[in-house]
Amino acid sequence: MSAVSVTERDRTDIPGNRPPGIIVSTNTAPAAIVAADVETAIRVEGLSKRFGKAGPVVLDNINLTIKPGEFVCLLGASGCGKSTLLNIIAGLEHPSEGAVTVASGKSAVMFQESALFPWLTASRNVELALKLRGVPRGRRRGEARELLDLVNLADAADKRPHELSGGMRQRVALARSLAQDRKVLLMDEPFAALDAITRDLLHEELERVWRETGRTIVFVTHNVREAARLGQRVLLMSSRPGRIRNEWRIEDNGPRRIESPEVSRLAIEITNHLREEIRRNAA
Amino acid sequence: MPPETTTDTIVPGSREPDAVSGSTAGSHADFRTLEAGLDALQTSPLAEKGPWRRFADGVLPPVVLLLALIAAWQFYIVIAKPRPDLTPGPLDVLTSITDLWSTGHLQTAVVTSLSRGGIGFLIAVAIGTPLGLLLAEWRLLRRALGPLLSGLQVLPSVAWVPAAILWFGLSDATVYFVVLMGAVPSIANGLVAGVDQIPPQLRRVGTVLGANRVEMATLVVLPAAMPGYLAGLKQGWAFSWRSLMAAEIIAVGGSIGFGLGSMLQQSRELADLPGVLATILVILFVGILVELVLFAPAERRLLRRRGLYLTAGR
Repeated sequence: MSAVSVTERDRTDIPGNRPPGIIVSTNTAPAAIVAADVETAIRVEGLSKRFGKAGPVVLDNINLTIKPGEFVCLLGASGCGKSTLLNIIAGLEHPSEGAVTVASGKSAVMFQESALFPWLTASRNVELALKLRGVPRGRRRGEARELLDLVNLADAADKRPHELSGGMRQRVALARSLAQDRKVLLMDEPFAALDAITRDLLHEELERVWRETGRTIVFVTHNVREAARLGQRVLLMSSRPGRIRNEWRIEDNGPRRIESPEVSRLAIEITNHLREEIRRNAA
Repeated sequence: MPPETTTDTIVPGSREPDAVSGSTAGSHADFRTLEAGLDALQTSPLAEKGPWRRFADGVLPPVVLLLALIAAWQFYIVIAKPRPDLTPGPLDVLTSITDLWSTGHLQTAVVTSLSRGGIGFLIAVAIGTPLGLLLAEWRLLRRALGPLLSGLQVLPSVAWVPAAILWFGLSDATVYFVVLMGAVPSIANGLVAGVDQIPPQLRRVGTVLGANRVEMATLVVLPAAMPGYLAGLKQGWAFSWRSLMAAEIIAVGGSIGFGLGSMLQQSRELADLPGVLATILVILFVGILVELVLFAPAERRLLRRRGLYLTAGR
């Protein structure tokens, strides 16, 4: 915690460092946030994780509160446990210590690989999610069409995953996770394997979907610009053990673009902190 | 200089900062067109081969080779003039087949063997499928039974014939027992291999989507394991057919009907080499036919739907 408050002082010392339009603040004590906002979507308390009894500590005392409808980016270098944290929130892995509460129950998850079922068409993939959610048979097809149309893929409904490009597959996966109709959407580097042009478009797509559906999104990435482009809050994690080192809150003035100067300025600042964290691991 | 007229120099700051407003000002329709354009660039339609091309690629080569082999065989008979009782020509074999057909023996034998093989195979599927699923999902059982099942797959099922005759006598039960011992391990092992090859991500998706155990097995695991399962079924059929022939050759008489194996054995006892060769060819032909009519189309369809069949045509 002391390291965090130091960086906070660092930043307030240099007023010119603060880009216009973006309010930057660092990790306030989690308890203060809890006290301030009764309404929380996800609460992580004192969470630690180690694999095996004698294994290294992957996550160390993570405390985190996320409000409903927030777009939070978890950023960090390899080995910071950001994916592990996401999997724990998703309920796919269990914490060694501490607790995770997702107010709305279970959450939807999207992975780096689209992980669509290759034997089903795009529409059927979405329909399967609806079926497992308990939507009656007669309504599934129509709802799947609507969801595919939301990601601009209504024309590809009858195509199979292998006939779609990587970006299209991720959009089907997004439609499928929206089909789960859960308030929280967890995304594990969903655009990491895409080319830059496609990724740029998908950022816009995701932002629009987020604004239209009001989902709470936790977005794991190792791409600083992506985090600065998308997040309302960016959480920087340190590696070995994974801890939340720093936090930026970005004022939401409507859609940003990855090329815009304030995103670049923020990305530079975050990158400097990230590099500092990585340097620690030398020797 | 107004920004519109700068063609080759970009003055810093002269361009309007549309960074924030750009994506909202451009309407949603614009974005959809943009995305549709990129989708079109990134996907290319698959060219389907026409029926004539498929025929030329798939059917023609084996037929041409078969005709060439028969021609070479006939050529050898004409040139070398070997003893006709030891080396019959293609015409002798053809005559033998037509003779067997006219007496009705051939039809009886094919129907008997094929129905037995088919029924035996279906029973093997009914046993092998749940067994394979159990083995794939229950680690302890797999550790205990896995090696035994692999061993059974290697053991020639003919080895079971003497035991089966002692247990069941010369009855259909003997034949079915031998067929099952041949086919069940292949089917079960094929399914286990298919389940093992499922990417772990697909199961996680199943969990995330909220599938319970039954839904996971029927909606995720079984369909995902289909390629391996189908390979197991194919091998299971091959083992059924082989085991059946072996059983029919060894176990003749009693209440066992007259199958292709029995016909082979009968021709051998009569020292009728054209008859033996004719029967071998019929057995071979039935095997190829089942493969071509049942398994090959099913496999092609399955793999094409999953995008795994693209290399074969190119």
